Amino acid sequence: MQNLTTTTTKNSINSIKLPAYLDWLQMFSGVILILFMWAHLCLVSSVIISPSIMNAIANFFEETGLVYVCGPGILLILFLHFILASRKIPWTTKQQTAMWANAKRMHHKDTWLWMIQVGTAMVILIMGATHIWVVLTDLPITATKSAMRIQSGTWFVFYLILLPLVELHVGIGFYRIMIKWGFLSRTNRKGFHAKENILTIIMITIGLITLMRFMLLPIN
Amino acid sequence: MSRILKLNIFRYNPKDLNSKPHIETFILNETESMTLFIALNRIRSEQDPSLQFDFCCRAGICGACAMIINGRPDLACRTKTKDLPDNITLLPLPIFKLIADLSVDTGSWFRQMYQKVESWIHTDMVFDSNAQEERMTNHLAEKIYEVDRCIECGCCVAGCGTAIMRENFLGAVSLNRLARFILDPRDKRTTNAYFDLVGTDEGIFGCMGLLACEDVCPKQIPLQDQLGKLRRKLALAAINNVLPKFLRG
Repeated sequence: MQNLTTTTTKNSINSIKLPAYLDWLQMFSGVILILFMWAHLCLVSSVIISPSIMNAIANFFEETGLVYVCGPGILLILFLHFILASRKIPWTTKQQTAMWANAKRMHHKDTWLWMIQVGTAMVILIMGATHIWVVLTDLPITATKSAMRIQSGTWFVFYLILLPLVELHVGIGFYRIMIKWGFLSRTNRKGFHAKENILTIIMITIGLITLMRFMLLPIN
Repeated sequence: MSRILKLNIFRYNPKDLNSKPHIETFILNETESMTLFIALNRIRSEQDPSLQFDFCCRAGICGACAMIINGRPDLACRTKTKDLPDNITLLPLPIFKLIADLSVDTGSWFRQMYQKVESWIHTDMVFDSNAQEERMTNHLAEKIYEVDRCIECGCCVAGCGTAIMRENFLGAVSLNRLARFILDPRDKRTTNAYFDLVGTDEGIFGCMGLLACEDVCPKQIPLQDQLGKLRRKLALAAINNVLPKFLRG
């Protein structure tokens, strides 16, 4: 801890509230992305029931122009969320070594959950942005186009990696927001986390079934 | 039949120029109801009188014997060897200044912390030594006591990934300390004054919610709840600040 015996001008006359605003923004951008990911999975997985349902939903977003607003909007929020949250990521080797040693030494679940979030964040930043780019540069979205992409093979592997990483990040992020902002008390922490884990598993399963559906969809 | 314990203990004396940090292994037979306090004292009296470690109360009250026990910070006096495997590794608490071996100086760190969060009642009331002490409801006194039970052992700081990465991070003990004053009606500081002390990236907004503090606290102080409440309170105060005057709380 820094020596406090020196007299320094700490703040301006008005108290600086920037750290709080940035924390709000980090939380809100995270919540928006969580809600988006849940909605995204529900909408895309409609292909399991029928490609025509997925096409109808995609068409709705196309006709209303929502895809042109939400698509780039989500990409921007993704970048914003990364910039805000990355302020907490250890970047120097000194910090990284200290954090690694701490996590390995402690055998503490929540410390590891954070490590997973950091790791997944890096991959999601690149793969998520790639996915958004590929989809938005080939509008309108249709079940056939998605199926063609996935059946190419490479993209199937791509989504096989991206899907669990996103769901893990979203699930852990949701749990950690609830913790950090005091919405979970000591008594209901474990129960909530167990439910959160089940939700994550369900989401990954739905995602995998969706991927398989695309893989087996006949292309006209 | 009693177990044979293998204690791997960190050894280093910064004052001794020939000393190099290393792990030294001691073999000890386990006795009934043995704590790490007993084990370490036996090693010191039977095997190596130069081994340095801190103890005072032996009852989990003074907080002096906190150390890293098989990876996690905990109090040695309250740790029974029967709850540990045969192989026990003991390290000094990180973050705090090492005195020697397992002994660290938590005092200087805590002194800085008191100054940083201004850990005293701020009031303009003049003290009258003849007056009766101001009354407080039992319920409130208990609420304050719940967070004020901290023994300042340093476990929450030593287990905190954020504090380990960032030297200036205040840690749960400091934020919990301020939470105690926020509860206390005798403290006349405004929310804005509390904000100026800990509404920073080194304070509550730097907390990443890893909850190691909550999970390693030997006194089970509700740190998770206190940190959550503090974040919400100060974050809302910041929002209040930008609201039009007639909407401000």
